[in-house]
Amino acid sequence: MSAPREDRRVDVHPRYDAVIGLEVHVHLKTESKLFCDAPVVYGAPPNHAVTPVCLALPGVLPVLNRRAVELAVRAGLATRCTVHPRSVFARKNYFYPDLPKGYQISQYEEPLCTGGWIEIQVGEGERAQTHRIGITRIHMEEDAGKSVHDESLAGAEGSLVDLNRAGVSLLEIVSEPDLRSPAEAGAYLRTLRSILRTIEVSDADLEKGQFRCDANVSLRPKGAAAFGTRGEIKNLNSFRFVEGAIAHEIERQARILDEGGRVVQSTLLYDPVAGRTRVMRVKENADDYRYFPDPDLVPLVIPSDEIERIRLALPELPDQKRIRLEAEYGVTAYEARLLTSSRALADFFEAVARGHGTPKTAANWILRDVLQILKEADAEPEAIRLEPGRFVTLLRLVDQGRVTARSAREILPELLLRGGDPEAVVRERGLEAVSDSGLLEAAADEVIAAHPDSAARMRAGEEKILNFLMGQVMKRTGGKASPATVREILARKLRG
Amino acid sequence: MPRITRDEVERIAALARLSLAPDEAERMTAQLGALLDYVALLGELDTRDIEPTSHPVPIATPLREDRAGTPLAPELALANAPESEGGAFRVPPIIEGGE
Amino acid sequence: MTPADRSTPEPLGSLAELGAALAARRIGSRELVDAALARASALEPVLHAFVGLRAERARAEAAESDARRARGEARGPLDGIPIVLKDNLVQAGEPTTCCSRILEGFVSPYDASVTRRLRDAGAVVIGRTNLDEFAMGSSTENSARGPSRNPWDPGRTPGGSSGGSAAVVAAGVVPLALGSDTGGSIRQPAACCGVVGLKPTYGRVSRYGLVAFASSLDQIGPFTRTAADCAVALAAIAGHDPHDSTSLPEPVPRYAEALTGDVSGLRLGLPREYFVAEGVEPGVLACVREAAAELERAGAKLVEVSLPHTKYAIATYYLIATAEASSNLARYDGVRYGRRAAHPKDLHDLYHRTRSEGFGAEVKRRILLGTYVLSAGYYDAYYRKAQQVRTLLRRDFERAFEGCDALLTPTAPETAFRLGEKASDPLRMYLSDVYTVSTNLAGIPGLSLPCGLADGLPVGLQLLGRPLDEATLLRIADAFQRRTDHHLRRPPEPR
Repeated sequence: MSAPREDRRVDVHPRYDAVIGLEVHVHLKTESKLFCDAPVVYGAPPNHAVTPVCLALPGVLPVLNRRAVELAVRAGLATRCTVHPRSVFARKNYFYPDLPKGYQISQYEEPLCTGGWIEIQVGEGERAQTHRIGITRIHMEEDAGKSVHDESLAGAEGSLVDLNRAGVSLLEIVSEPDLRSPAEAGAYLRTLRSILRTIEVSDADLEKGQFRCDANVSLRPKGAAAFGTRGEIKNLNSFRFVEGAIAHEIERQARILDEGGRVVQSTLLYDPVAGRTRVMRVKENADDYRYFPDPDLVPLVIPSDEIERIRLALPELPDQKRIRLEAEYGVTAYEARLLTSSRALADFFEAVARGHGTPKTAANWILRDVLQILKEADAEPEAIRLEPGRFVTLLRLVDQGRVTARSAREILPELLLRGGDPEAVVRERGLEAVSDSGLLEAAADEVIAAHPDSAARMRAGEEKILNFLMGQVMKRTGGKASPATVREILARKLRG
Repeated sequence: MPRITRDEVERIAALARLSLAPDEAERMTAQLGALLDYVALLGELDTRDIEPTSHPVPIATPLREDRAGTPLAPELALANAPESEGGAFRVPPIIEGGE
Repeated sequence: MTPADRSTPEPLGSLAELGAALAARRIGSRELVDAALARASALEPVLHAFVGLRAERARAEAAESDARRARGEARGPLDGIPIVLKDNLVQAGEPTTCCSRILEGFVSPYDASVTRRLRDAGAVVIGRTNLDEFAMGSSTENSARGPSRNPWDPGRTPGGSSGGSAAVVAAGVVPLALGSDTGGSIRQPAACCGVVGLKPTYGRVSRYGLVAFASSLDQIGPFTRTAADCAVALAAIAGHDPHDSTSLPEPVPRYAEALTGDVSGLRLGLPREYFVAEGVEPGVLACVREAAAELERAGAKLVEVSLPHTKYAIATYYLIATAEASSNLARYDGVRYGRRAAHPKDLHDLYHRTRSEGFGAEVKRRILLGTYVLSAGYYDAYYRKAQQVRTLLRRDFERAFEGCDALLTPTAPETAFRLGEKASDPLRMYLSDVYTVSTNLAGIPGLSLPCGLADGLPVGLQLLGRPLDEATLLRIADAFQRRTDHHLRRPPEPR
């Protein structure tokens, strides 16, 4: 099943349309490497997680990791690819110090998955649009090690090679050139990452290099059908960089074309500090990688019932979940998309909505307050430590007027990130809403005395002044006054 | 197929990271030419519908359970290194465009 | 046979003889190992078969073997037996060079699976033997250590690439040596030196720890004096290995039980194309025909078969083997182990000088050919074409085995050739592999055993079998050796 090709036009430049394809490399969530039992670790001292196999010592042989295959199949199914019962590992031959064998074991002519698609959404609210982005192929391969060129470590005279990462399982996910703007590229990557995390194929932690992106960008005059010559921007490791790099590359190529020049096929690096792409090398001849089937690995054969078993065990995917949340909880499409951006967040929402009984309230709190708190703490939804049931308790306290929304917001960050019993926290911090009518009557009287003009306007029927007066009463009670009670008292006193 | 030229031999040598002295390049060009002339014999065979054999045994690749084993002791991992530093293999500078 | 030099220790007996002597406590492993080491050292100036001896460790292991036996814990027919490994099979803590300058100084931190199995069986590795660099050659002349010599005539090669292993078994230094066979590198030197050499079915013996030459063709196998010894050795090294994805899961039969001495009713195919090949020596053909007649007298039935694509085998082999080799040898880059060029000024310089200085001419030639046939624009014409012809060659054997149980052929078209005779003409050298390369391309087992002398030099008889049917080859070879004494002939003691 191959995705229908959309020839869409998106305004990114007054004179040119952009055509963008992305290649994403994702670390699979395995304990050991793709072809040997070296542990997969991040941040270990150099060469502490290597075996004779990942050092490419003479005589060693690769043996494929079962879990990696299962995860790769899962990724293929989740992106609606055809998963081939037979695929072949090939050697991609080139020399580099971080590539110990002098070849990378990858898949070439017969990859595991081909011809899928995912749906992305760009724009917000009423202006949101969805697009189907084709997945050309997904194949398995091994990662390379790392060359450290840091002068403080290696001196000006060389580089240091650490092979801890060499042989870690990777998926390469290649999109069709269906993307038309930096924003679409960003949306594609966020959606893809969310899918991969939901199906637990990868943690896709960008900072750990578990999710990396190469972008192919070309321009064509508005309305033209043929693709232009492309630039390939390598090794983008943040969504912001991807969008920035593509935007810059569009400008760079447009400048060349405007001046009557020709874009030369080249590999580029993005400098996020300068905000510009830089040509690393010009591809005069395509690299001659001399691919051939790896004679050390016979074909990978996955029985079709095994593929079906994996398909049945797939968790609900973000877009399936999105549609279900809309139907089941009555949230808007936009809200559903935000809620399903992470499995942990969606699960949290569902538990709170069910426990509380009013999904709209749960959605409001989660989308406004919880997301804001996470953003400020630079944390993922997985970092939520508050049990959904206790969040429900907090919402009930607000509903019952025992805590004001303002107080609830005050204690939520700590509760959310550390956990705890909302009732106990409210008690300890003395945040119970003040509903002692004597106390509130007195406060209302003071406010009326202090703001005679406002009181007069209220008496004259100017209802909107009530909010101002309520605010004044709240202020005097340190925000703990039950708004409903205050409203009632003021109304009684000023409406006669 | 035209006979392999010395330029081609040098291009191939560069791909394989080998440097050939001028006389060596000359000799290799002649010898590879003779070998390629010989293997051209295969052109006699019509192999249009013949599946290629990559492996002599008709088996599927076995799969290994995903369990991490004990890595090599770091001193063993580096024991054969011509040059190392801080636990890493040291290589001379990588000149852009050179490699 | 009287040794000219009385200080040269006597040749060691066969595996069976030594095993019986150990079991009966007529001799200890320590004495055997001492004798093997002494003979190895005494013959080394003539044979130049060893890359290195591990005298001290071997003696210590032999003493452990004796202690085990004294406790009644002997591990079987190999316990305490001195053996050698071709220097492309790794052993933990020991250097492995593949007789290449590029691996100078490399010490393996791990054991090859065969090394582990033999050591677990109690065998004592006394040393590592010479080979053509990375097993690329048919004479050991391509060794960075210089050529080995044939015990039958030190002016001639022992064959190759496992020439050192073949020579030391022929010379009675050890009863068992391991070699590797990519296109005949066990069988051809076995023939040249007058010993038994077996290339098992591809996948029967794990390749883990065999330094790769051509991964889809390489197999490890034993050199012994007799077919019976070969059966014991194969039983010790065969079987599935989780470290080798191409290793076959089938259980290992009891090879020794196949040695019934009875070949009556077996159909032996004589491939027409192998008996009319250009350049085959009449003396070789005469010995092979006589061997066939002997087996016929023993009750086997001779049938003529055809392997119609034989003339394409060498071209196919050299395309596939060099392509795989060009990739397998990319890891020798001077970064993690082995030789590194002095004072490289940048990475480009490091790669080019390390590899150009480290590899010998034959290896470079094959890397170049292999790189060429895989490169853009040539892949289909050469590499893919060769893989397709490989399919045809495989089918030839499948068809032949419909009408017979094993094939009987010469192992090599000629007896051991003189040192230097073919060194300057690579193509001529390659053509001497005519009878052996098809076996590797098809993945089937092949065994060479001595079947007589031509002009005083051993002639090899090759038996080829169905995949995994080593048992039949061993049975035929054993039956032949029960009826003849070719395997008992010894090379003259060197003077």
